[in-house]
Amino acid sequence: MDKIQLLSAFLFTIGLLIVITRRNTIVLLMGVELLLNAANLSMVGFSHHMSQIDGQMQVFFVITIAAAESAIGLSILVNLYRNFGSIKTDVAQGLRG
Amino acid sequence: MDNQNILISLFCIAATFFSLVMLFSKQALTCALGLLGVLICTAGIYGLIGEHFIAAVQLVVYAGAIMVLFIFSIMLLNLKHEVYSSNVKKPLFIGAIIAGGLLFGFLSTVIVDYFGQSLGGMQQGIFTREYIFNLGGNSKVLAHALFTQYYMSFEVISLALLVGLIGAVTLAKRKFE
Repeated sequence: MDKIQLLSAFLFTIGLLIVITRRNTIVLLMGVELLLNAANLSMVGFSHHMSQIDGQMQVFFVITIAAAESAIGLSILVNLYRNFGSIKTDVAQGLRG
Repeated sequence: MDNQNILISLFCIAATFFSLVMLFSKQALTCALGLLGVLICTAGIYGLIGEHFIAAVQLVVYAGAIMVLFIFSIMLLNLKHEVYSSNVKKPLFIGAIIAGGLLFGFLSTVIVDYFGQSLGGMQQGIFTREYIFNLGGNSKVLAHALFTQYYMSFEVISLALLVGLIGAVTLAKRKFE
């Protein structure tokens, strides 16, 4: 269990670094997925460790929400590309339009 | 049990490698394949500790559906002319790496402390491995909980998925002025 929690902390750190440093919106969304995955891993690990099943149910719901979130995010991204011709975060600095 | 520990360690090392690939890759597609590797390794870990249902859901939804969405949108936008140029300045990147290292250091200290101390006061649940086996397996136990205790959450989550679907279609079809 020790290894699983350490891996979860590592994946969370890497996801945070990706969200902070990258400027490509697709890669940014992938960083968010990595963060969610790290949280899921931690929850399943602790829930298994404590002999419970509530963590697994929570992870099931989180995976569903992650699917919806990534669908919405990618359609926003398609709109961004149509309007600005680029998916860098620099081009979308204003909230107009 | 020993084989299981070795396999979990291997999956952990592979997931670490794939996440580093994600962080340092220049292209979006390499990043997507790194994410795919991380998700498959995570599903392997879930399967190895005995959570078969979550492992299957992870493989089908995450490594299947979400990755197809990502790779499809990379293909749809066809960003070949937009080669990844690192417009993050070097000092910022190094600072972010140092901050991330500090964060990981704090987290791992807490984790090692937690697993180092005795778990005397912790409330253990009833769902041990033998109990789940006697009840008919992991999937059966989770399905029973899903349709009794978490019934309302299940219905609400299906509604949320429907709203997400409609929102995605509307956003992608809409033409802005």
